[in-house]
Amino acid sequence: MERKGLVYIRIAEFLKKIGMSPGGALMFVLLAVTPLLLQDEFWTRLLAISLMMGALAMSFDFTAGFININNFGLAAFWGLGGYTSAILAVKLGISPWIGIVVGALAAALLGFLVGILTLRLAGIFASCMTWFVALALMAVTTNWVELTEGSSGLSTPYLIDTVSNLPYFYLILILTIGIYIVLRLVTKSHIGIAFKAIGQDPQAAAASGINITKYKIFNMTLSCALAGLIGGFYAHYVGVLTPNVMHTKNTIEALAICYVGGRGSIWGSIISALILVPAMEFMKGMMELRLVLYGALLILVMLFYPAGLSGLCETFYKFISNKGLFGKMGLLKNVRGQGSSQSSK
Amino acid sequence: MDPSQLLDVIFTGVLRGGLYALMAVGLSLVFGVMNIPNFAHGEFYMFGAYLAFFSYTVFHLGPIASIIVAVAGAFILGVIVEKGLFYTLRKRSKKQWIMNTFLLTLGISIIMQNGAKMAWGATYRGITAFWSGSLKIGSMNIANDRVVGFLIAVLAIVIFWLFLNKTRIGRAIRAVSLDETGSQLVGINLDWIHTLTFGLSCALAGLAGASLLSITPASPVMGIGPLYKSWFVCILVGMGNVGASIWGGFIVGLLETFSYMQFGAGWQDAISLTIIILILVFKPSGLFAKKGVKSVLE
Repeated sequence: MERKGLVYIRIAEFLKKIGMSPGGALMFVLLAVTPLLLQDEFWTRLLAISLMMGALAMSFDFTAGFININNFGLAAFWGLGGYTSAILAVKLGISPWIGIVVGALAAALLGFLVGILTLRLAGIFASCMTWFVALALMAVTTNWVELTEGSSGLSTPYLIDTVSNLPYFYLILILTIGIYIVLRLVTKSHIGIAFKAIGQDPQAAAASGINITKYKIFNMTLSCALAGLIGGFYAHYVGVLTPNVMHTKNTIEALAICYVGGRGSIWGSIISALILVPAMEFMKGMMELRLVLYGALLILVMLFYPAGLSGLCETFYKFISNKGLFGKMGLLKNVRGQGSSQSSK
Repeated sequence: MDPSQLLDVIFTGVLRGGLYALMAVGLSLVFGVMNIPNFAHGEFYMFGAYLAFFSYTVFHLGPIASIIVAVAGAFILGVIVEKGLFYTLRKRSKKQWIMNTFLLTLGISIIMQNGAKMAWGATYRGITAFWSGSLKIGSMNIANDRVVGFLIAVLAIVIFWLFLNKTRIGRAIRAVSLDETGSQLVGINLDWIHTLTFGLSCALAGLAGASLLSITPASPVMGIGPLYKSWFVCILVGMGNVGASIWGGFIVGLLETFSYMQFGAGWQDAISLTIIILILVFKPSGLFAKKGVKSVLE
């Protein structure tokens, strides 16, 4: 019994080190086995797409929730990663596995440049700047037909030579977990605190000795690089790329997922993506009404519960632990005390 | 580029600029007074176009009457949206107001776009002309509607400018945009001014949509282009600077036509955006930035 407790603590401590809670890890494990249990291609594909949108929303959250800049051009970075990788594969015959990394680097480079561009801008000006860059990029992609095939679409080689969705699902799951861990570790460290300080009040942050330039550029670069990485996955998963990938409506989708999930929480984005994306898929028969409901959801969340799903969960958790119903935390502490006293014996 | 071609470019650019200016003035006003970055502005433009279409074709009203119906309808819708959503939000949230309004406008935009698709379908609904015939200037023919649309835009902007500067209510709107607390102290009813401002801004967008109906037919997604353009203008001249957005409209209109002629179709967006981005690098708060213009972080 005590040994079991010890193992549990070891695992919990390890998870904490990589920025995960036991509940979060359990969720990922459950996610990993779901397709095996369902054995259904449609569901596997849907889950893979949901995870991809969730990962995109996480990289959106990393700028919006922390340094308080809505990267309104995120879809363009997503598309840039995809296009870079696809063009390398189609024109130069480079393996998509390398292409994805190069795509992420290209998106990171552009993110770095945009970071420099938006440095002197605040709030909505910075958002619009990223948006303009994205629109310009989309216009170039549409019109540079020799390179991108324009709006007729560029067909890309598949990443894995299989008709099954399962390998793709596991790939995006690993990517999502990786991105989650990276973002959690960064935001939990002193860097995350600096981000929050900049987001709340840049002048006060600068006065307390935070190098705003460095942190802002780092944030933009990392967020765009991750978006580019996911874009590479998308390009070689779906098999065809059109300039519509870069359309603002994709940014809005990531943004809505992020805000419904709760800004500044990172994990809220995954949960809301896993709910919203399948929900939208199942309401496809409702045509336009589905998007009207989507807009209404966005408005209702903003009006009545801006903290989103993660805020809801936290309130719930606080409520339970205040009532003493959730003795687990207390139990954990006790077990921990026993464990350390045993080892000292 | 020979002189006659240059003249064409200037004419087209100015005519286009009138529309952009009309849109941008409303957008800029709402940002200056209420601090709302309105991403649903294009949808009110669409709404105006639909109203004008139905009153012209179904109810057989005259051109002027149709445009007036569109303006009034857009104004009423704007008032309803403000009272129903932004007012509620303002009462509920204090700190994160701008971020929340930003999302709210996106939600409104999605709802209006798809609501229009639901109600009227995705087809284009256009008319041949309000005023048939064309005007010959030099080597080019300009449709009468384009000229009248431009004149309406100029007239609307002039009337609006007089309203903002010469009337009590207009001055109250400007006072609120300068200092909310101060204007409350001198007895201005903030709620009322906010509602009026939003309604007026929507009415201007509706006017733009209605008066150009024969050139751009009404369709659910028609608002996106003008929305982008009015944002270019507002950011280029500095947010909340109502007067300068008139000049900005013409600058963007000319820039676009010029790059269209020079580099071919499709590239005009990329070129004009690159130029706007370059300008912003050197003048981050816009070309004609006023001191103390509200920014989101304040």
